[in-house]
Parts: sequence; structure tokens; C-alpha cells
Amino acid sequence: MKEYTRDQLAKMIDHTELKSSSGQGKIKNLCDEAKMFGFISVCVNPYYVKYAYEQLKDSDVLVCSVIGFPLGMSTTEIKAAEARKAVSEGAEEIDMVINVGALRDKNYDFVLEDIRQVVVASAPAHVKVIFETCYLTDEQIVKACQLSVEAGAHYVKTSTGFGAFGAFEDHIKIMRETVGPDIGVKASGGINNLKDALRMIEAGASRIGTSAGVAIVEGVSMLKFAPKAWLEPEIPCHICPVRSANMSKLPKGVYAYYKKKCLDCPHRDKYNKFYE
Amino acid sequence: MTNINSKELFGWMGKIVKINVSNGTQEIVEISDDIRKKYIGGRGLGVKLYSDMCNADIDPFSAENPIIFLTGPLTGLIPTAGRYQVISRSPQTGTISDSSSGGFFGNVLKKTGIDGFIVTGKAEKPVYLLVTDDGIEIKDATHLWGKNTHDTRDILTAEYPKSSVASIGPAGENQVLYSAIMNDKDRAAGRGGMGAIMGSKNLKAIVAFGTKDIPVADPDGFKELLAKLSRLIDKNPVTGKSLNLLGTSVLVNVINAHGMFPTENFKRGVFNDAEGISGEKITEVLLQKRSACFHCPIACGRSTRTANKSGEGPEYESVWAFGAQLGINDLTKITEANYLCNELGLDTITTGSTIGCAMELYEKGVFPHELKWGDANILEKLIEDIAYKRGIGAELALGSKRLAEKFGKPELAMHVKGLEIPAYDPRGAQGQALSYATSNRGGCHMRAYAIAPEILGSPMNIDRYSSDGKAEIVALLQDISAVVDSTVLCRFLQFAMSISTFAEMIEVVTGLKYTDDELLTVGTRIYNLEREFNSKAGFTRKDDILPVRFLEEELDEGSSRNRVVHLDKMLDEFYKIRGWDENGIPTEETKKKLRI
Repeated sequence: MKEYTRDQLAKMIDHTELKSSSGQGKIKNLCDEAKMFGFISVCVNPYYVKYAYEQLKDSDVLVCSVIGFPLGMSTTEIKAAEARKAVSEGAEEIDMVINVGALRDKNYDFVLEDIRQVVVASAPAHVKVIFETCYLTDEQIVKACQLSVEAGAHYVKTSTGFGAFGAFEDHIKIMRETVGPDIGVKASGGINNLKDALRMIEAGASRIGTSAGVAIVEGVSMLKFAPKAWLEPEIPCHICPVRSANMSKLPKGVYAYYKKKCLDCPHRDKYNKFYE
Repeated sequence: MTNINSKELFGWMGKIVKINVSNGTQEIVEISDDIRKKYIGGRGLGVKLYSDMCNADIDPFSAENPIIFLTGPLTGLIPTAGRYQVISRSPQTGTISDSSSGGFFGNVLKKTGIDGFIVTGKAEKPVYLLVTDDGIEIKDATHLWGKNTHDTRDILTAEYPKSSVASIGPAGENQVLYSAIMNDKDRAAGRGGMGAIMGSKNLKAIVAFGTKDIPVADPDGFKELLAKLSRLIDKNPVTGKSLNLLGTSVLVNVINAHGMFPTENFKRGVFNDAEGISGEKITEVLLQKRSACFHCPIACGRSTRTANKSGEGPEYESVWAFGAQLGINDLTKITEANYLCNELGLDTITTGSTIGCAMELYEKGVFPHELKWGDANILEKLIEDIAYKRGIGAELALGSKRLAEKFGKPELAMHVKGLEIPAYDPRGAQGQALSYATSNRGGCHMRAYAIAPEILGSPMNIDRYSSDGKAEIVALLQDISAVVDSTVLCRFLQFAMSISTFAEMIEVVTGLKYTDDELLTVGTRIYNLEREFNSKAGFTRKDDILPVRFLEEELDEGSSRNRVVHLDKMLDEFYKIRGWDENGIPTEETKKKLRI
């Protein structure tokens, strides 16, 4: 696995605070931490874009705003207006949520236009397109990637952090293979420590969205010592999305898809058992 | 040797006093720049001073045996830095040992203008040491002898307002092998029997009250450093949230869910009544307020109240020791047992574990006194009897190893090198198992807290069931822990901070620059020096062993079931990584490389 310095890793992290309960003090801390630890951006809800920009205007930390968050089900016009407003208040990156239902309905023209209008409204800010991969099959993830690229997006992104589960390597690999080397891939949701982050980067992620950025970059120096021991390969089933597939939270079809995938998986016989 | 006072120092106060309580003589101990850089302070410097002063066969209770109290260069400055370390040869284990305690004592001691002191000799009658800006005085403690730690503290602080007091209770006076030194009422240098050594010297207490400033090398950088440390602590889920909200007992439900909560002397790993003695339950029914040591934003302390008494705790290890370990689910009785140990000056881990050992000995029909699992009503009298070595208490005051040996069932003592293993069943975490086995002070979770990566995912999660790579990680954690104990900071900071940040703290405060590798080498050196001392005292591979229960008996329920510890494989790897021979002794090449 490639080695990263603390600074290199920080420049790949969107330092994130998106909880609806977060007050201004949390955002102040978020911005202070971003400056202190050198993160590429802070990722906030639109309400805090202006405030975050004020905190960061004398630094090289970017302000990233989520749009249509977290469900992606507002109308295209509202998403575009929300993005325009965020950019006018200082956002240099926009993380929009696609209309997941429309994608699953194969209403691709709508999804394409939904993304395109946000890209246009956000210029010159870069746009990352959040798929909420937990609700999609692999084929749907591929399609979402293709639509995002066609619409002019700059990044594809796995998750909001509010869905059934977050980022998994399997999905990152599919996204990277689909969009190629020139489009960014952002892994987000459930990335809580350095090892999680490194696995995502190894799989093809070029950006990490996390609220655990401080702990992640702080952990980098541990890897100088005993790197092989820290990075012992995970048991594949432990890092498989199937493990997180929860019947009560996933659409029936997606849940069945994951379970079928597990039954067909070559790792099943070796690893998918209770005891070591 | 360069005198510690020979140049301007930052972080260190520049003075270590050696005092003989037999005759009252005092001298300044000289520390060279090289030694200071190689061992830092606290545990590291203490181990170095002790090793230089003593042969490995020294009797811990002899007048000649020194007991060393040290702060570190970061004491009094960095968050959590109110701590101090006590170093000597443990009467319980025979290993070189150190014990650390929080509270306020370390800060106040350092502000008297010294980094610490070394006590030798044996006073003819009970004494205490009064440490102030003007120096150290030996004072008569006849009126304090026999008093518990709370009364001792109250009497002395009434006489010396604003002071901080570290004292022993009746257990230490009676030289119970696992007696603690208690400071600020309820903070304990608990493990290894340091309180018994004080008792053997007729040293009842130390009263410290200092007002001097601690010099810092880079005052501007220090302000920035504090802001950064604050963010690191706050953003870490363990230090920023869990420990504050639920105290260390937050672990009860977590460890129980992992099938590693030792129940009835480690016969089982799941305690069915865990919820009723958990941190959540303590918060619900006992908590009065959250309390903090000096300059600590974590505030893991619990000021609690039962219907009859109030005090501090119980912390996780104590909840376990008087709870699951004994099959007891009465949170009030558990808490009051903890209070009592604090007052009498007993290590709660060894006290509870020894009672659990006795219960199993009784269950097996070899212990003549009736002690039944789950019987909470026995605790109060039993603990008092231990402290005063009365009746059955005299047997239990031996600790579990000696007790089980005496009754012909040594395998029922859950210890390493004579020190009782704390509240994590090693069968559920192979790294923690290796950590216990190779700990220089015996069965201890603090030499290398492998639970952090294996259970809590800090700094990264590793597979707790696997023995692969664990030797390397345990050695690394042992070395980092030795550094932190030498700076002298709270080990909880390790959750939130890396070796780089510890190096940064040292540089800003002292002006002394370490690379990450250099600082880690300090830890390696300390660990090897301790090992060297223990080797001379006769400890070898045969002592890096776990109770046979962990090696051969599988747990039969919970998520750690059907597992044992694969120790031999890990031990071979560990010795190789350490540069020790097959018997676990540092080679000449290793010592030369580390400049020991």
C-alpha cells in the first residue's frame, strides 16, 4: 500500500459536519480544525456556507456545500437554486444528491438533467454527485457514474452518511473503473479511522468525506511503525456491503440483490463462517 | 555528569531530591543531559535511577530499597498532566514496577520546584514528608498512623490548605502486598504494592504545596499546541465523548458484548447482569457529578453517592473486580466496596480478583471459608479484614498467586508474574493476551492497551481473533506507553494522539527535539531496561505465561467462545522483534543498540 504523509492525506479529506443538530460552535470548530490540520475543505449544510466562508476566507481551505441533502428528492429547480445560492455565498465545491428513486425507475433523462442543471448553476464550483450507493445495485452504480460524467460533474460520490450504510471498497472500485482516471471519486459515510480511509484510497477514491478527519490524520504516524501488522488484509466478508445490508432499511430488491451476491461470492466458503 | 541545575531547563524543574527517612539526610541527585534525553522523566527516568541504585535481589521492604516519586517535563502544563509516577521493586511481583496516579498531586509537587524525590531508609516512628517551595521536611505522623486515607487527607489539608496529599491507609501500614498510594482522596497509584513499601518505611503520607512557575521553551507555540490538543481530545470519540459521558465503566457493556467480560474468576466471558452494573446504570442511579483531574477536559471521574455513602467511582476495573468477577450484581455494594478500598488503600483489581480466586477455591472444595459467588454481603468485612490482615483476610492479603499456591491450586489464580489480570478476558483478544504475558510489571492492561485497536478501533481496528502481526503491534504499544508514562501524561491521550504529537509537546515545552523514531526508541529503551532488571531478578520466558485457563479452556458462550490464546507463536515473534533471546532476555547487541 502506498505511504501517505499526514499533509498528503489531509489534502484528500473533506472535513464534514452535516448533522441537523449541529450549532454554529460546531462549525467554528470544524473550520478551525480544517485550518489546523490542513484539510482540503469543510463540508457543511447550505445554512452554514456563508459562516464557514467567513471563517476560512483567509485560508486555502475550501467550503463545500451539500445540495438536495440528504434525500435528493427536491425538484431540479430547487437543487439548482440551492447550489447557485451556496456558490454565491462562498462555496467552491457542491455535493449534490441524485434522485435515487428516478434512477432506480430508469428515468435516466431526468437524472441526467437533474445533475446537469446543478453543474451549470454551480459553475465555477466543482460538483460531486452523491449516489447513495447503499440503495443501488452494481449495475445502477455504473449507470449513475455514466450519467454524472455525461452531465459534466467533476466527482462521483458514494453516500450521504444518512443512508442504510456508507462507503465500501467494492463500490469505489466500480465507480473508479467506470469514470476513469480524470473524474474524482469520493468515498463517504462510515469512514471512521485511518485504515478505512486508506482502503478507500487504495480502491480508487481520490477524496474522503468524513467527520473523523482529525483522528484519521493523527493516526498516520502510527503506520510508520509496524505497517504490515496494522494493514493485515481484512477478512473480505468483514468489509463487504452485504454485511451491512439490513432488511428493514433497504428496498426489497436491493436487499435480495445483496443476498444473492453473497451466495455466489467466491469468498463465501472460506470466510463466511462464524469461527476463525 | 552534568548537574541538572547546570543550565536553564524548560519543562523540567531541575531538581530531584534523595531523602533518607532513617536519618533525615538529603542530597540532590544529579541527572545528565544525556540521561534526561534518553529517559525523559516519570517512569523512564525512575526505572533508570532505580536500576542504577539497586541490585535486582533487593528486598522491597528493606530500608535500603528506594521508592521514587517523579513527575515529568509535561507535568503541570499539558491537559491531564496532574499525574505522578511511583517506581520501585514490587513486593507483590518482585519485578521492577511503577504505578501512576492522576488527580492534582503531580502538578502541586512539581510546582514546589522539584521534579520528584527518592525516599530511602526506614523511619523509627511514623512520618510524613512536607514538600514545599522551601524544600522537604520530615514530620511526625504518629497522630495519623492507623487512619484511613480520607481522614489522613482531611487532617493534613486542614493544616496545610491548598496542599495535595498522597498517603497510605491501614493496608499500606500493614504491608498488604497490594496496597495502594491514594492521593487527593480517591486517585490511586494502585498496582504493585507501592503503598506497602511506604508502610515498610513508616512513611504515612506526602503533603505537597508548591507555587513556582514551570518554564516553557516556546510560550507562543505552547498556546497553539494547547488549541490543537483541545481539538484532538474533543474530536476523538473516546476522549471527547464516551469517557466524559459514562466514565470508564462505559466499557462494561462493550466488553461484555464482545464476550470478554471476565465472570466468576474468568470462568465465563459474559455476565448476564452486566447492564445493571454498567456505566449507563451508574450514570442513572449513582452519579452526582462528573469530575476531572488537574487540567483535564476528558473528565472521566465519577462523583457518586449510594444511600449510605459518597465517594468517587467505581471505575471500570473496580466495577468488574467487585461485580462480574465475583458474580455480584448489586451496584451499591460494588460501589461501596470501591469506596472502602480507596479509604483503606487497596488495589481494587487485586482485591476483587483475589476474592474471586478464593471463591473458586471454595467452590472446588479446597478453601475452608465459605465464600459464594454472588454474595455481596461479604464484601465490606472481607475487605476490612484484608487491610488489617485479620482472620481470612490474612490469607487473602497474600494476593491470588500466593493464595492459590497455598491451597494447592495455583492454576486458579488469574495472574501474570503475581499481578492479577484485569477486566478483559484475553481469549477474546490475542494482542491483549500477549500484552498481559509480556508485561514487565505483571498482569496489567496498561503496559500495552491492545484493547484500543482490537476492540475500540483506535487508532485502527485490527482483527482481535487473529494472532498475526500482534507481536509487532504489542511491542509498539508498549514502547509508546512507556513514553507517555515518562512524560507523565494520562494514557487516555493515546486514544487521541500519535507519537508525533507527543514529540511536538516535548519540543514545545522543553525545547528538546525528537523525531518520531527517536522518541519511540526512548520507549523501547525503557521497556528493555525494565526487562533487563527483571531478568537479573530471575524472570525469564517461563514467567511470560498466562494462566492455563486461557491457553486450554475455551469460553463456552458469547462472541469470544470456542477460543483460546495462541501464546507460544506470538511469544516467539515478540522476542525476535524485541531483540531478546529465546528465553526472553535482551541480548548484548540489543542493549548496545539502545545504549542501555
